[in-house]
Amino acid sequence: MTEVEPKIVAFCCNWCSYAGADLAGVSRLQYPPNARIIRVMCTGRLEPEFLLRALELGADGVLIAGCHIGCCHYISGNERAQEKVAMTSELLDVLGIDKKRLRLEWISASEGRRFAETMQEFVKDLKALGPSPLKGGAE
Amino acid sequence: MTKIEKIIEDAGAFDCVECGKCTSLCPVAKLNPNFAPRLIVVKAQAGMESEVKSDKDIWSCVTCEICNDMCPYKVNFSGFIQRMRAEAIEMGNSPLCSEAGAIHTMQRLTGKGQKQNRLVWLTNDLRVKEKGDVYFFTGCSYQLGILFKDRAAELKKVPASVVKILNAAGIEPVVSNDEVCCGHDLIWSGNEAVFKDLMKKNVEMIRATGAKTVVFSCAEGFRTFSLDYQDFLGDLGFEVKHISEYLLDLIEQGKLDFKESNVKVTYHDSCRLGRHMGIYDEPRELLKAMNVELVEMPSIREKALCCGVNAFANCSEVSRKMQLDRLLEAKGVNAGVMLTFCPKCLIHYNCLLSMEKKPVELENVELVVGDFSNFIAEQLKGATEKTSVGHENVGQVGNVSNSEAENMKGGE
Amino acid sequence: MAETMSSVLVIGGGIAGIQASLDLADKGVIVHLVEKEPSIGGRMAQLDKTFPTNDCSICILAPKMADCFGHPNINVWTMSEVTELEGSRGNFKAKVLKKARFVDENKCTGCGDCLEKCPTKGLTNTWEQKLTTRRAIYMPFMQAVPRVAVIDPENCKFLTEGKCGVCKKICKRDAVDYEMKDAMLEFNVGAVVVATGYDVWDPTSSTEYGYGKYPNVFTAMEYERIINAAGPTHGHIQRRSDGGEPASIAYIQCVGSRSLKTGHPYCCSVCCMHSTKESMLAREHIEGIKTTIFYKDMRACAKGFNEYVERAKKDYGVEYVNSDATVQGQTEAGNPIVSFDVGGKFQQREFDMVVLATTLVPSEKNVALAKTLGTELDEFHFFKVRDHTFEPISSTRPGVYLAGYCAGPADIPESVAMGSAAAAKAMEDLIQRKVFA
Repeated sequence: MTEVEPKIVAFCCNWCSYAGADLAGVSRLQYPPNARIIRVMCTGRLEPEFLLRALELGADGVLIAGCHIGCCHYISGNERAQEKVAMTSELLDVLGIDKKRLRLEWISASEGRRFAETMQEFVKDLKALGPSPLKGGAE
Repeated sequence: MTKIEKIIEDAGAFDCVECGKCTSLCPVAKLNPNFAPRLIVVKAQAGMESEVKSDKDIWSCVTCEICNDMCPYKVNFSGFIQRMRAEAIEMGNSPLCSEAGAIHTMQRLTGKGQKQNRLVWLTNDLRVKEKGDVYFFTGCSYQLGILFKDRAAELKKVPASVVKILNAAGIEPVVSNDEVCCGHDLIWSGNEAVFKDLMKKNVEMIRATGAKTVVFSCAEGFRTFSLDYQDFLGDLGFEVKHISEYLLDLIEQGKLDFKESNVKVTYHDSCRLGRHMGIYDEPRELLKAMNVELVEMPSIREKALCCGVNAFANCSEVSRKMQLDRLLEAKGVNAGVMLTFCPKCLIHYNCLLSMEKKPVELENVELVVGDFSNFIAEQLKGATEKTSVGHENVGQVGNVSNSEAENMKGGE
Repeated sequence: MAETMSSVLVIGGGIAGIQASLDLADKGVIVHLVEKEPSIGGRMAQLDKTFPTNDCSICILAPKMADCFGHPNINVWTMSEVTELEGSRGNFKAKVLKKARFVDENKCTGCGDCLEKCPTKGLTNTWEQKLTTRRAIYMPFMQAVPRVAVIDPENCKFLTEGKCGVCKKICKRDAVDYEMKDAMLEFNVGAVVVATGYDVWDPTSSTEYGYGKYPNVFTAMEYERIINAAGPTHGHIQRRSDGGEPASIAYIQCVGSRSLKTGHPYCCSVCCMHSTKESMLAREHIEGIKTTIFYKDMRACAKGFNEYVERAKKDYGVEYVNSDATVQGQTEAGNPIVSFDVGGKFQQREFDMVVLATTLVPSEKNVALAKTLGTELDEFHFFKVRDHTFEPISSTRPGVYLAGYCAGPADIPESVAMGSAAAAKAMEDLIQRKVFA
């Protein structure tokens, strides 16, 4: 039986996590290719709508990766992201979508390894959860 | 007959004599020089289809139905707008949706067929059934309470309040985890296809419970089931009642007891409950039966002011001004609390009240906009929990605690 | 049989009833003209001028009223209403209740001495549209026919408490008779003409016009009394709030009419013309006054009417705006703010005064009267005609004919024409020697 590969949409902030992802690549660290990375200048730009829409359009999981708290290039953008993600997570729970499909990580520009590990973990978790219930999968 | 001609005919818009009374009474036309109901109907009658469909101002109408109510020829302007919006969407004319469209997405997501978790608010002390005569349609109040944590957190308490009240009257309502959004915002933002899908799911699910009466707290859900669902499906096979009329019957039978109250409230007739459905007396009689002092604002009943936003689309300075007008009326009668049955009105008024830079006229004004059902629950004899008056998070931007943030990372 | 063959009952002493009575009487028919008010004259007596000639209304009406009253063949019964009508075409027996006037019509000369001495003042004067008050003993209006005083039994001190009696003492002709009783009259007639006219609708319930809320919003009939030289302000156009002269007047058409919402979906047929007339008269009364008429459609269809409207625009500078309008507020000075729509844009303008062209409705007494007469009413409570095309003067009961506004919207010339037509129809019945079922 072939396993269906989970589709991940990853919102990465330009200054930290996107650079971190780049570092993972340059360092030839292996991680599964399930994610489509969308660069934003700051995770603070993210709206709950993006997260929900990604899931509606077929993502099995959504990753939000930003700078560590206190290190945001725009001072407090990541704090805003934290609030938005918390709220979206609560909403997803009520909608019947597992909170684990929404993952918030702080990854700095030097943490290429952390980026790769996050990806590996996320894919593993999503495989365990199965396809998104919005695509007809059971939750 | 073309599709547009059918829309005009169904709305009775061929009867329009272009008198302009609608425009003279329209709260949006007063503030937006590009919008006039009369002009839109005249253009449609003249066959200027694409002009009407591509007009951005088709989204400026707040569908308050003041025009419908006052038109000498009973033209159903709001119905006309509703159908034209579906045509507009097909042409690529979309509104600017609030919160980037998150609310509509949330509403669509309820109906994708996944097993939801809608009854999280159901605590052990609340008694409900899976099959029975009375179905309580919970709607999206809880979900909206999550989305608008900073402005309307009390909405999360509405479903529990309603069950509490019904339980106190000896009724165990049916609630279902398989309920989906009633689709109100979707049909009013031109998305007929998803609306019909949600409608069918809801009606089939309710019929399967055997319910004879469906009770609503939300004004919009009530209107949608009563009018839009029946427009499409005819007789639904069950009665649709608003909680205000339902509770009055119970009170008459002596089934509900209330505490003494010394708060002065004013009641806001939201458009969907008032002008759309004609329910004006019941909430007032409820307050009377509860011995709550009611002070009336100058513009009430058919003349009630609209909160300025329709289906979470096209919120603008016009909306702000309309909200301000209403709150100033409440301030003018020295009401401490303004009650409403519509969760949208509650969100919009609290949105204005919680602005960092409030309009000058609202500074230092002690006014709370509260949910009527929460208020009733809290006024039940023996109720201890405060739900609406003095609830937390009004006027503050919500803060997520660090521990909650910790739980976000890596899942549970 | 001779009596029935030569007399006709005319119900309603307005212009239609007066015309019918005169036509019949001139041909030798005995007419019993029954009028519920203390004077004949009807609505036309309340107007200032008539369109499209701008003739003085009472000036052209009063001679006819006098003719009626003085005509040897016409019996004018005021304060009277029909209570029963039995029989059939050509042979009716009518019972009429004549309420007591408490003043002897044969003795009173209309000198007016009693009117000044009555101590009970401040009573509602409905004839003057409540713009002024009257006393317990009063003259219906200056040109009343018969010019005989009448006592209001509910408010007269003597009739209610046995006190006062001043008017009786003052009257040099001993015309006041507190002992007068209601009388029951019986007439044998060959035909009946119904000409009960209309009532003016009260626009208070249409709150979008602010009547009753904003003092400077008037009904058209109030305005007619105001510009009338014999009216409560002696012809001076005065605002209700401060008695000041307006520099601008807005006339709003179709107030209550052409509306499914108010239950009067018909067009009252006269107000486009009367607002035009009223705005022309305003210009004659006040130099430089700006008048604006807000209309849905300009219904100026009959002979000379369109020319009249054009004359108003050209010679009197009346502004016509094609939009319905509402009054939703007033300024601090009490000037009503009129909201309307021009070219798809919301507009607002301040006016010193607003006149509402309120619709005209069938008399509320029509329901009871129709039952008494055995005739049908339509869904608006106008008297129903036998056939719209070929029998527009006949009611649904053979032998009972209709004239004027009671059968549907009609202006003065139309009402006069219908009065004459009804008289002719009634004559037919009298001339025919057979009795029809």
